[in-house]
Amino acid sequence: MIHYVLRRLFLLLFVLFSLSVLTFSLSFLFPGDPLNNLSGYQEITVNQLAILERKYKIESDYFTQYIAFLRRVFSGDLGISFNSQAPVFEQVNRIFPATVELAVYSLLVSIIIGIPLGIISAYYHRRLPDTVILTTTLVGYSLPVFWWALLIIFTFSLHFGWFPSSGRIGLVYEVPHISGFILVDILRSDIIYKYEALKNALMHMALPTLVLTTYPTTVLIRYTRGSMLNVLETNYIKTARAKGLSPFQVLLHHGLRNALLPVIRLIGLQFSSLITLAMITEVIFSWPGVGRWLIESIYQRDYPAIQGGLLAIATFVIIVTITSDILYKWFNPVSRTQVDGKF
Amino acid sequence: MASFKTYYDEQNLSPMRQLWVLFKQRHPARIGLYLFLLLLVLAVLAPFISPYSPYAHDQTALLLPPAWSDEGKVEYMLGTDDLGRDILSRLMNGASLTFGLSIVSVLIAMAFGLVLGAFAGLSKGVKSSMLNHVLDLALSIPSLLIAIIIVAMLGPGLANTVWAIILSSLPRFVHTIRNAVHDELQKEYAIAYRLDGATMFQVLIHAILPNIFQSIIVVATMSVSNAILDIAALGFLRLGAQAPSAEWGAMVAESLDQLYSAPWTIALPGILIFLAVLSTNLVGDGLASALKRRLDK
Repeated sequence: MIHYVLRRLFLLLFVLFSLSVLTFSLSFLFPGDPLNNLSGYQEITVNQLAILERKYKIESDYFTQYIAFLRRVFSGDLGISFNSQAPVFEQVNRIFPATVELAVYSLLVSIIIGIPLGIISAYYHRRLPDTVILTTTLVGYSLPVFWWALLIIFTFSLHFGWFPSSGRIGLVYEVPHISGFILVDILRSDIIYKYEALKNALMHMALPTLVLTTYPTTVLIRYTRGSMLNVLETNYIKTARAKGLSPFQVLLHHGLRNALLPVIRLIGLQFSSLITLAMITEVIFSWPGVGRWLIESIYQRDYPAIQGGLLAIATFVIIVTITSDILYKWFNPVSRTQVDGKF
Repeated sequence: MASFKTYYDEQNLSPMRQLWVLFKQRHPARIGLYLFLLLLVLAVLAPFISPYSPYAHDQTALLLPPAWSDEGKVEYMLGTDDLGRDILSRLMNGASLTFGLSIVSVLIAMAFGLVLGAFAGLSKGVKSSMLNHVLDLALSIPSLLIAIIIVAMLGPGLANTVWAIILSSLPRFVHTIRNAVHDELQKEYAIAYRLDGATMFQVLIHAILPNIFQSIIVVATMSVSNAILDIAALGFLRLGAQAPSAEWGAMVAESLDQLYSAPWTIALPGILIFLAVLSTNLVGDGLASALKRRLDK
């Protein structure tokens, strides 16, 4: 197991290294002067030039520049944005929790709905409930997320007017920014109308969460079903049935814990696709998260911001993926021996 | 009437034929295939059969609803958008952009993947293991994210989107083909070929490729449905196809202001994206399950 963890960590380092090289070289690949792209100052005065050249070591060879770049990344300096002239690192830090919050809630919802439905579907294999669930998931799986979001807005926000269609919380509420997770912030703050604010934030969250949860839920249902069916075909299940246990007991005591193991891994993998889908959802619902911010930076050719956003999102996705891989092996010794014995 | 078999005759069909026999037993998969073929024909013929040019404006017919509505006109079967462009023609031409381009880019990715995957499958040792781990990781990163990163680097545009789609669907092909080649090489028929004196290249072309082609097809179908969603999503985010283009995602983005006043301008392209993805998924699911049943037999 330690061997495996070390190897995964080595892979993590390798990928993060490639990612940093890529991000670094972006300043040279993007149009314009590398110094502008690295620092974010668009008009550099003569006085600044000397300071910036020393800071970014632009006269030295690429290797020295790259080391200087790494130093700056670790000290939390990603230059300033072309547009707002505010430090990129602080901006990313400030808005990243909003995206993670949306993704985590959607993931929770999809786990709560997806796993039971997958189990039901496997339990009634090839009978009516199974067919209905499978057809629904196929439809959910094929829906383009932006169109689905518009459909939801049209129905629940424009037509019925039940939920707000944009933003994170009503403008009348002023919630201090502590952790960046709005529900936590509201609960921890001591503003008046705390519960109204909470309710308002939940209303704003409902539609984006519903949109975002559709894809992972369908994937979870299909995956849980498949994994459950595989387990139900094994010999120990037949033994348990032959022992005289009812199908339900077998499902609960023997099937479930074995079938859910592969699902753990999938949940980790889903997180990265959730972050991607969240980018689109954020754009539609004007959710102030890192995805919308990155996409706006792409429109405005704000190179320091694009670099910072890419670095943040990619690092996050990679770390989550590798962590979930390690956790999966931790929980499931069988998979360890299968893949790990061979190098 | 079911055919009556007097004699037991052994069926020795080629792997692809066997797959087809099993595939067509499932009706949803067949319906998906017909829909897929229909869209394919549309994608090829669209410029010749669409009633108007997708860019032609008609100032006298702005925001006409579809023909079945009372205000609609039969000349514009599915209505017009805010610039008076015929939606039916735009949707037809969009088929060649969204659907056609995704198939083309997946085919290109498949060709690259074959070459790279075959090389990787033949190599051994630390190099190959390292490659496998990196591929594993690349696979777990969603293709749309890779595509957005590539578009962020290259700049918005449909051509860059196609590159992005090719690059982001490549890891899956390389991974599948590498593993398949690796597994088949261990089998006895491949060893027999090599003992007969065939070179590695001949083994690859004559022995291995026909046997792994079906799994490549399954992966390709799955990649097409991803590619459609990605091209449309990038078009919607205005990172892919740009404004006057009739790409379905870009059409939705362009009509965003009319979500309430003219819902059909958004609903119709969305339905087509949905149908394209659904049909591809049906075919993909059908192929995957047919493949599984064939191998189980």
